[in-house]
Amino acid sequence: MSEEPVDVLIIGAGAAGAAIAWSLAETHMRIVCLEQGGWMNPADYPTTRHGGEMEQFGAFALSPNARGRREDYPVNDDDSPIKISNFNAVGGSTILYAAHFPRMHPSDFRVKSLDGVAEDWPIDYQTLEPWYDLNARMMGVAGLAGDPAYPPKELPLPPVPLGKIGETLGEGFNRLGWHWWPSDSAIATRDYQGRAACINLGPCIMGCAQGAKGSTDVTYWPAAIREGVELRTHCRVREITVDAQGMATGAIYVGEDGTEHHQRAEIVIVACNGVGTPRLLLNSTSERFPDGLANSSGLVGRNLMFHPYAMVTGVFDESLDGYKGPTGCSIISQEFYETDPSRGFKRGYSFEMLRGMGPIATALWGMSSGRLPWGAEHHESYDKIWNRTAGMVIICEDLPDVNNRVTLDPELKDADGIPAPKIEYTLSDNSLRMLDHAVARGVEALEAAGAKETRSEAPLPPAGWHLMGTTRMGRDPASSVVDPHGRTHDVKNLFIVDGSVFVTSGGVNPTNTLQAIALYVADHMKKNLDSLFD
Amino acid sequence: MTEAPLTQKTFVALLDELIPARDDVLPGAGSLGIGSHIEAKLGEALPLVAAGLAALDAKAHERGVDDFVSLPVGLRASLVSEVGAEIPGFVDLLVYHAYGAYYQNPRVAVAIGLSGEPPYPRGYELEEGNLGLLDPVREREKLYREVS
Repeated sequence: MSEEPVDVLIIGAGAAGAAIAWSLAETHMRIVCLEQGGWMNPADYPTTRHGGEMEQFGAFALSPNARGRREDYPVNDDDSPIKISNFNAVGGSTILYAAHFPRMHPSDFRVKSLDGVAEDWPIDYQTLEPWYDLNARMMGVAGLAGDPAYPPKELPLPPVPLGKIGETLGEGFNRLGWHWWPSDSAIATRDYQGRAACINLGPCIMGCAQGAKGSTDVTYWPAAIREGVELRTHCRVREITVDAQGMATGAIYVGEDGTEHHQRAEIVIVACNGVGTPRLLLNSTSERFPDGLANSSGLVGRNLMFHPYAMVTGVFDESLDGYKGPTGCSIISQEFYETDPSRGFKRGYSFEMLRGMGPIATALWGMSSGRLPWGAEHHESYDKIWNRTAGMVIICEDLPDVNNRVTLDPELKDADGIPAPKIEYTLSDNSLRMLDHAVARGVEALEAAGAKETRSEAPLPPAGWHLMGTTRMGRDPASSVVDPHGRTHDVKNLFIVDGSVFVTSGGVNPTNTLQAIALYVADHMKKNLDSLFD
Repeated sequence: MTEAPLTQKTFVALLDELIPARDDVLPGAGSLGIGSHIEAKLGEALPLVAAGLAALDAKAHERGVDDFVSLPVGLRASLVSEVGAEIPGFVDLLVYHAYGAYYQNPRVAVAIGLSGEPPYPRGYELEEGNLGLLDPVREREKLYREVS
């Protein structure tokens, strides 16, 4: 069934799709967004009921393979030590993310020039700065001005509370003379634009029942829909179609009714994340594009970057307040962010300090770490760890490697018969050395804060939640997939605006940056509509 | 095929061993009544757990009593460890489910200092904290590299 043509078709209603949809809405072009998931109901999130913590292993697990929802597609990540984490819904992975929302650094855009590895972006921090600012206002970002780790920036909301944990960890950093600062967080710390303020429920990564966390279903999408954008849910795109001249003509999707539809469009924008986007392009073959759409470079799916994560948890003698507050948003340390050759690796990492765990998570962590026996010693052991843990995840920059890639699995398919993605990924020597350094410094930081014992894990297997690099940006069509304005080199009316366009990964969460890129691309489109396909 | 239900008195006694009574505040996990919750979660592991419970009763019988519940309390833990070693996964699986079920019980939550209600809609108060602790950081030179 063929739909009436529209001006703009956006595929994916996550972080980037929402931002570009909202930005383009002011043009009054007819805009349709297709999203394979649906609207989430905050009343269904786990913090609304007893035992909700257990749902991180089931319906709210990070891995689509563990969840098995119809909206999910399976991922073959057997050949990767880091497993994919994502979510399909209006809001995409922002439904489950921790809303830790730092910007990249200026040096992240000039890695080749500064450090002799990877590549330089064709854009820079100054280019994105106004879009970071706009995104902060739209998402409701909380933070504190004056951080010496960044160029000056103003944020619309005050920082998330330090709490006892933040003070304890901060004092530890002060003893070491290391950098720390309240994390930039996409969390409404005050009532903001019709959203109620955060009430410190704890595990943001299972959805925010309060609506204070900045997921795009409660930030960009209501505004975009008011401006006339049509969002169709439970519509899974199978392929993007092209004509004989090599222009995109729309997309074929399986609708909520289970039948196939062809949505025609003048402009197609892909926003399906660093795994979903190359998957869609590789599945969109034609006589003109036998190796996948927009893939004359051979780079669609290649240069997959995660952030190799480590986790260090400390046990303290004193009672803390860790079950309260946004779990992943308290303070950040970027003491080891910029390259220092004496460390034995290039680039660096961030410490994203974590608050503690709820009662069930504490028990299960105790079980897995051997600190919580069953039997006569159980209660005494539990009392030593309950509300006495704090720690960090460490976000290590990942250098691009052409052999790290997303392809189509030859056998695995989703519920609509569309080939699933297959991940091939190997940790580099640079990453391994960086992880070793990071864990040692992380232990040092927690001990300085008063931790009596620590436990570390590196790399962290489920931490494939930052998906970057697989349709990277550049000026040269031989070494990139999209140009500096997000347009694919091969298809003049096809754009990509998600983490797949990243050239380097930085050592921070990518959502703020990929949204800034989406806004930047949208702005360029609006200013150049009459020459967009030149 | 309908699975045979677990031998309840043995199951309850086992859970009481895994998580015993907490002082005079709480009974053991089994006596607290979380057994049915766990049983509903076992799914395909039900036969494994049933076999483990049967083994506990059988070994208790070898020791001269009718069943596991009849064994003196002080002798039960070692028997659980013994059966756990002989039936891989039996004890670990139940420990995992017992911990999950026990620590979501409202009585347990109150005993460890929580309200016993789900976090939403009341939420929690959290201290803003002393931002003056950042003064040493504010005094530092710029940490990021400028790029021309």
